[in-house]
Amino acid sequence: MNKVITINLGGTAYQLEEGGYDTLRSYLETAAARLQGNPDREEILTDIEWAMAEKFRALLGSHKTVVVTKEVAAVLAEMGPIEAAPGEAPTSGESGAGAPPGGSGPGPAQAESAPPGGGKPKRLYRLYDGAQISGVCNGLAAYLNIDPTLVRLGFVLLTLFWGTGLLVYVVMAIVVPEARSPEEKAAASGDPSTAQEFIRRAKAGYYEAVKGFPDRQARREWKRRFKRDMRAHSYRWRHQWQGYWAEHFPVHPGMAAMLPIFSLLHGGVKIFWLCALVSFLATGALFGAALPENVPVWVAVLVLVIIYGMLTLPLKAARRVCSGGLGQARPLWSVVFLMDAVVWLGVVAVLLWLAFHYFPEVRQAIQAVPTVAHQAADDIQTWWQRK
Amino acid sequence: MSVNDNFFGIRKGLLEFIVLLIIAAEKVYAADILKQLSQTEFATQEGTLYPLLSKMRREGLLDYEWQESEAGPPRKYYELTARGREQLRETLEYWNSLNGTVKKLAPK
Repeated sequence: MNKVITINLGGTAYQLEEGGYDTLRSYLETAAARLQGNPDREEILTDIEWAMAEKFRALLGSHKTVVVTKEVAAVLAEMGPIEAAPGEAPTSGESGAGAPPGGSGPGPAQAESAPPGGGKPKRLYRLYDGAQISGVCNGLAAYLNIDPTLVRLGFVLLTLFWGTGLLVYVVMAIVVPEARSPEEKAAASGDPSTAQEFIRRAKAGYYEAVKGFPDRQARREWKRRFKRDMRAHSYRWRHQWQGYWAEHFPVHPGMAAMLPIFSLLHGGVKIFWLCALVSFLATGALFGAALPENVPVWVAVLVLVIIYGMLTLPLKAARRVCSGGLGQARPLWSVVFLMDAVVWLGVVAVLLWLAFHYFPEVRQAIQAVPTVAHQAADDIQTWWQRK
Repeated sequence: MSVNDNFFGIRKGLLEFIVLLIIAAEKVYAADILKQLSQTEFATQEGTLYPLLSKMRREGLLDYEWQESEAGPPRKYYELTARGREQLRETLEYWNSLNGTVKKLAPK
């Protein structure tokens, strides 16, 4: 008995044996890698998927609903390896580090030798794409396949119990490695597809058809993956220019030590900005200094937001450059990273403290937490005893 | 090395010309092209044809329109653009002159 995996090709669900799925996936990954830099990459990949869909369809009938591994290999052998059209720049996959196995060999050889990354098991990594602080929660969410917000909430709640959450968080931030290479990022979620890949599929109506998947489990799983990948993609998109700077900026690894300092500056600016904002909205004046007569408050707030953005933009970029400079120096990374996390936690603590002192509502809310918690514990206890 | 091997590179280079010829004859989709090619010396696989078709479309030689198929996803039916026809005419002319040269030089 073999496990069957439901996939979507060209808007129709197909069921493949697990081995066949792995073969197919490695074929598509190799194709995607070889077409790196080709302006028609997305179009070609979609064409290939649709051609496969037609071939699979021809194999299936009313009594045969699953494409077996051998058939997948035969179809892929028939399709042949992806080759750049003559007159085009040579495809990058042929010489690069990520060179696909089989090279320009005949189809069957390629179909049989899946790349080693093919069926890689999941690993726990810190995942920086879409992270809030250090990617611990994000990585854990990817590993457990749940929403990162839930994980973060979990940590915050755990922190209420004698700071357990904070302790666990700091330990994990040090112990768990960060996913750096695309392979590691893939292993973090156990899913080799890159975000771009998902965007491409989304464009091809891929996820519309997910709704038509026969079993609910698969449907939920794919929806969840899609959401997660969209989140990661939008994060990456927003941070692309920083990444560009980080890549094109020669940095000494020692610069990494500056990371906590930049974080401190960033945190300082943030605290100052929030204070200024509150002061504006509450009193209509900036720390006692009144605004000029004819300037409405909203204009001042807008200016404040813009100034904040301009101040933090280079700081964010600098932090990114610093962490980029760390490269392979992992022990150093842990130390710097811990300091960075401590700085950020400090910033959060200062903000909480300020809120606690200057806003009676916040103070009341925080002071009410133990009472409510006790109440809840008591209620649960009585309910349990009654049972 | 057989004649077949010697001409490997030339066949590869001529593939675009052959594809132009096939598409000029009638509106076709990729599987039709592959089927026609399979009966010739230019037998090709999807892995080679799709990148070539995409490149030719990007260069403005081809255009396609979607057509629903009775089973499976819709298909792209390719046809030549004015530029594609012009290119085909030029290539044919050149091909004929090559052919003429070969004939002229061949031992009678």
